[in-house]
Amino acid sequence: MTAKISLRNVTKQFTVRAGKGSRPSQPAATGQRGPKEPTTLTALDSLSLDVRDGEFLTLVGPSGSGKTTLLDLLAGLSTPTSGEVLVDGQPVTGPGKDRAVVFQQYALFPWRTASANVSIGLEGRGPDGRKLNRRERAAKASEYLELVGLAGFEDRFPHELSGGMKQRVAIARSLAYEPDVLLMDEPFAALDAQTREQLQDELLRIWRATGKTIVFITHGIDEAVYLGQRVAVLSARPGRLKAIVDVDIPDRDGEDDIRSHPAFVEQRHKVWTLLHDEVRLAQDAGHRKILPDGTAPDEVPGTTLERSAA
Amino acid sequence: MTTTLAQQPAASAAPKQGAAVGDSGPVETGRRSTTAALALARTAAARAGSGLWKAAGILAFLALWELGPSYLASASTRVFLPPLHVVLAAWGKLFESGTIQAHLAASLTRSVSGFGAALVAGITLGLLIAWYGKLNSVLNPLLELFRNTAALALLPVFTLLLGIGEESKISIVAYAAFFPVLLNTIAGVKTVDPLLIRAAKSLGLSSLALFRKVILPSAVPTIFTGIRMAGTASILVLIAAEMVGAKAGLGYLIVNAQSSFLIPDMYAGILTVSLLGLAVNFLLVGLERHFSRWRTAVGSGS
Repeated sequence: MTAKISLRNVTKQFTVRAGKGSRPSQPAATGQRGPKEPTTLTALDSLSLDVRDGEFLTLVGPSGSGKTTLLDLLAGLSTPTSGEVLVDGQPVTGPGKDRAVVFQQYALFPWRTASANVSIGLEGRGPDGRKLNRRERAAKASEYLELVGLAGFEDRFPHELSGGMKQRVAIARSLAYEPDVLLMDEPFAALDAQTREQLQDELLRIWRATGKTIVFITHGIDEAVYLGQRVAVLSARPGRLKAIVDVDIPDRDGEDDIRSHPAFVEQRHKVWTLLHDEVRLAQDAGHRKILPDGTAPDEVPGTTLERSAA
Repeated sequence: MTTTLAQQPAASAAPKQGAAVGDSGPVETGRRSTTAALALARTAAARAGSGLWKAAGILAFLALWELGPSYLASASTRVFLPPLHVVLAAWGKLFESGTIQAHLAASLTRSVSGFGAALVAGITLGLLIAWYGKLNSVLNPLLELFRNTAALALLPVFTLLLGIGEESKISIVAYAAFFPVLLNTIAGVKTVDPLLIRAAKSLGLSSLALFRKVILPSAVPTIFTGIRMAGTASILVLIAAEMVGAKAGLGYLIVNAQSSFLIPDMYAGILTVSLLGLAVNFLLVGLERHFSRWRTAVGSGS
């Protein structure tokens, strides 16, 4: 088995200054520190995971379980506190052209047209050390906009596009510089149900056409089972790998409604059961999304490590 | 250019009033005739009406200016508040003799050089301060102090150090225009959507490319707001500075006319200042709009 991405005992901790919401009388989460000492938020706890080359892996977990933190580590936007993140056997030291990220909120540059948004990743030197000229970039942008079904929208500004179209542009942008790995952080969560289903199918088509390795974070169990070859379930904070479910649905490419296939229903239920306890745990602890700077709005010392190890 | 600007209110006043009177006629007859004619007349009236509505305030003010001194004010007040046509006549005379152009040129030269210097310094320093956090923490208290010192309070200092020549006026204009540009540049850079920065980093952009391709374009609309504010501030301060000590310029023209008891000339100078202010603001608003086009419907779009 060739592992495209390997996570080896990855732990990510954030140092959080004692905020206004924390109760200073309680001892800090990590033990015997003074009340005004910064506390530590463990987002990921010795997580190990391998992603095969060309695999479509979906990642589910309750809110605040460190899904986005994990994606940031893979993207090279942050570094693990301990453990190793390897891509192609090489440790990740920063963002690289071999990986691309698609964000939930599209993150298009509003002053650039669709075409210019897609080509921004092409403006630097390519892997062969050559710079593409303007026309080559525009041609490539058109090619990828066509791939995501947006041919003819090259000159539109983001504010002239619908949510689904914006996300298509964002996907085209991440594909345009031809990364091996596509990291997607709840990319379809902000879209309406119809557009979401449509884009899910498009993504599967693109994945089959391009053979990228995709790590796809989602809240939706249906989405995870529908898209993923494997579904990784994270535990409530601190995030650990609870289980990996192999999704095996016969004739995926058929015309039938896969979501009502008995195999789909069975796998879905499996993931749902795994996730259910974790979601309740997270809800009881009041976990919220961990913000990019490592703070979580809910984080009150004393609540993080109450649960026993999974 | 100034001729058309100055004479426009007077020239447009008459035909527009005439049109308004004429409009009510077709509307009255239209009601009695066919509905098509009625609709046509209505749209025509509405169009003329909306234009008239916009100009109504200005027209009313000009009418008050023209008629008020003649019919409402006492004879002694009329000397200090001449009706509009007297002021316009004085303006025409000043224009013919080239006086107003000379003063306008003097004022424009000062404000453009001071404003230009403020733009270059404000944007450069603003970008540096916003980019280097350390610089910000060192300079911020100092900048707060200077920003809250009214520019005109420093006018005596500028005059003492640089004399009553061009240098002191250009410097004080630059000083007044500097802070809006600087502070808006800092604000523009600091309020860049963090998600866009994350996205740019994930795309592998280097620090320099990130700055040039993401932070700068994103800050441009905010910077332009600062530039527009600076334009207004620079004219305000310039006129005041010219009133205090100068040998030329619109501020000098106004004060000089007042002390020489050439009251219509004084108003002609004031009129020129307000038209200059309008023109500058119009230009800068246009530029601002041009550079912020992509921001339209940002709120509704996402």
